[in-house]
Amino acid sequence: MVEQLKTFRWVLAKVLGAVFVLWAVATLIFFGIRLIPGDPAEAILGGPGSQASPEALEQVRRDYGLDQPLPVQYAAQLGRLLQGDLGDSYSLRMPVAELIADQLPGTLLLSALSLLVAWLLALGLAGWSTLNGRAAAVVASGLEIAAAAVPHFWLASVLILLFSNSLGWLPPVSTGSADGLVMPVITLALPLAGFLGQVMRESMLGAMSSPFALSARARGEGESGVLFRHALRHAALPGIALSGWAFGNLLSGTVVVESIFARPGLGRTLLNAVTLRDIPLVTGVALVSALAYVLVMAASDAAERVADPRLRTA
Amino acid sequence: MSFPFRTPARGATTAAGAVAAVVLLAGCSAGGGSTNDGAEPVSGGNLVYATGDAEPTCLDPHVGGNYPQALISSQYLEPLVSKNSAGEIIPWLASSWEQSEDGLSWTFTLREGVQFTDGTPLDAEAVKANLEHVQDPATASSTGYLALRKIESAEALDEQTLKLTLSSPDSALLESFSMPWVAIQSPKALERSQEENCAAPVGTGPFMVEDWVKQESVTLVRNEEYVSPPSEATHSGPAYLDSITWRFIPESATRYAALQAGEVHVIDNAQPDTIKAAEGSDVIKHLDAPRPGASNRLELNTSKAPFDDPLVREAFIRSVNVNDGVSTLFFGTAARSYSPLSSVEPLAYSDSSQFGYDPEEANRLLGEAGWSERDSAGYRVKDGERLTLEFPVSTNQSIPAEQSLFEQFQATAKEAGFEVKLNLLDLSSWYGALAENDYNLVSAPYTKVGPDVLRILFHSDSTVPAPSGYFANLSQVKSEELDELLTRASETSEPAEREELYEQAQKIVLEGHYILPLYDQQNHFLYRSEVSGVRAWPTVSTPDFYDAWLNS
Repeated sequence: MVEQLKTFRWVLAKVLGAVFVLWAVATLIFFGIRLIPGDPAEAILGGPGSQASPEALEQVRRDYGLDQPLPVQYAAQLGRLLQGDLGDSYSLRMPVAELIADQLPGTLLLSALSLLVAWLLALGLAGWSTLNGRAAAVVASGLEIAAAAVPHFWLASVLILLFSNSLGWLPPVSTGSADGLVMPVITLALPLAGFLGQVMRESMLGAMSSPFALSARARGEGESGVLFRHALRHAALPGIALSGWAFGNLLSGTVVVESIFARPGLGRTLLNAVTLRDIPLVTGVALVSALAYVLVMAASDAAERVADPRLRTA
Repeated sequence: MSFPFRTPARGATTAAGAVAAVVLLAGCSAGGGSTNDGAEPVSGGNLVYATGDAEPTCLDPHVGGNYPQALISSQYLEPLVSKNSAGEIIPWLASSWEQSEDGLSWTFTLREGVQFTDGTPLDAEAVKANLEHVQDPATASSTGYLALRKIESAEALDEQTLKLTLSSPDSALLESFSMPWVAIQSPKALERSQEENCAAPVGTGPFMVEDWVKQESVTLVRNEEYVSPPSEATHSGPAYLDSITWRFIPESATRYAALQAGEVHVIDNAQPDTIKAAEGSDVIKHLDAPRPGASNRLELNTSKAPFDDPLVREAFIRSVNVNDGVSTLFFGTAARSYSPLSSVEPLAYSDSSQFGYDPEEANRLLGEAGWSERDSAGYRVKDGERLTLEFPVSTNQSIPAEQSLFEQFQATAKEAGFEVKLNLLDLSSWYGALAENDYNLVSAPYTKVGPDVLRILFHSDSTVPAPSGYFANLSQVKSEELDELLTRASETSEPAEREELYEQAQKIVLEGHYILPLYDQQNHFLYRSEVSGVRAWPTVSTPDFYDAWLNS
């Protein structure tokens, strides 16, 4: 009963937190995007290269309610959002919800694969360096720092030069086929694996020299047995805790990666929407990203509670 | 060169026209445009085109009206008239036309036997519906709307004859009608909602829009019933290609890598470094197709100090080393311009004597203008004010090579004592800086067919901001003499007079040092050698794939 109450309070806190985050995101974007000088009506009419007539601009302002005072527009916007209506995109002339539904799966697939690959790389490196002594630890630490420091756009360009231009193994454009996913996933996974690897290796090393590892060895367990049966769970804990953060990092990484590899997705949508001052679309993508982030954070919290029994009683 | 109608017969007879035509032809042949290499064209295949321009928000170029829309809609929509490679207007969906003595009414006869791809016939009522669609505020047309502004009413005299009544004579009307932003669409299709028409406009062109996957590609398929190629086409009947996949690949390096890998056949927006890299390749060819309208130029804001002083304007122009910068940063892919108009405009007038790099002359002029002292940083000062130039640069409109060029200008102008403050801005902020008159220098491209662009850029009417704050006369030239010349040029129906007036107007612009011309608006395509017969339309330099075919 006490356990259930705790879980209920935990869920309630998460839900209230999520609502607050969503409201804050919607408000910040609504006012933030208006700090940029310029006229969204002009963006609606094609932006660069088109010289909009005064009549056309007037018409657009009326159609999109841009002639209303700011507080009225804000109230209308929140009202629509409360009813679950994300509105229509200025630049793509489609319902925002429909656009996001089209673009979300590609971005989720990319992010999930990248997270998985990053995890495998980080765990693999941590395990290898733990089992192979101090020299391996130095090498692993160097690799992790280098990987973590690499910017996405640079890594993506180098991969294209190497695997598309020189070797011709992989297509530079990431659509249509499964091999198109390889370079985008590596671009996102490598820097992330650097971060994850650093924390995982630390706690794995800590676990390997802890009393429970010592007693396992005393029972006759080999080094790799200690690692897989006992230390792995410890190494995974900070990894799980960081996965929520990592997911947010991946979502922002997709902005760069989807543009470079010409891959449709939420990141590229967001970039275009910001350049075109497409307020409904920016708001929609940001809300969905914030919601996804909140959900993943909650999931990683829950996963931590499962993996670490101490958190449930605390 | 005689057509059965009154034609603005200027063109290649003039010196400027001849130069322009040679440049245009050189551009085409250097790129191997419409080369058939003697081989027999084969039908079939899917051509993959990768554009680096923004994905259009609407495939109907009446709505808004920008270059990305022109690029794609040239494949499925056709305008009333076109241009030949000598820059002369030729018939297309209109077979002939007549202008009244007072220039206030025009009669167009339409081509017989043409149908839209939804089966609707091309007739006078259809064209009338298109003009009304462009002029309807609900369409939110900007480019097309400006082009047709002088048309007051349209009347179908019979099935194939349309009479237009103008509010004042318009010598640019045919040039306006050659632009893709006023191309003719099925009136039945235009009756659909804007959403539907934006997704798949219906025209008379050699291809039709089949599908549009946002952020990925538009699929165009062959129009099997196609009958209306313009006279310059090398074949008749349907196009050779089965289909075109029009992909959106915003990153320059990715686009080029995809071309090298053979994943795409043609790319646009090729940057100077890629063009240079492609020169050594046997499989990649280059098509250089400068855009019409204005040349790319720096505009000097004459409405405030220090450029309200003509001496300071000339001093600045003499102080920047344009030629060295252009040749190194553009790897020889861009030719220097000395005209306010693009070299593809037959009426372009050039004067290189106004724009030579001469630091000593710059120093002398600045001394004469009272800027003789320098401060500790080496910049000139007068009455305690530093000689500072605000230069907002739009990162959307200036490619990286151009941004580097501006940095070189900054360095060479500093030697003469100018402090140039370069400010890289996104498009909205850039518009904002212009609207607030917060600039001394600016570079703003303008694409339009014909010399009437001079009226838009230099008539004092264009210094009055639109409600959005934007105005096109960014040099803020206010000259009654120039206004008079430009107005008369836009209304005369005498080709020789028109040419003379535009030449005088260009002289005033060049000699007044209102602008520093740099080069044509760059527009480079790269394509793989298995593509034959591709060329750029002589109107707004969008690619023409009607005669194109793929050898396997």
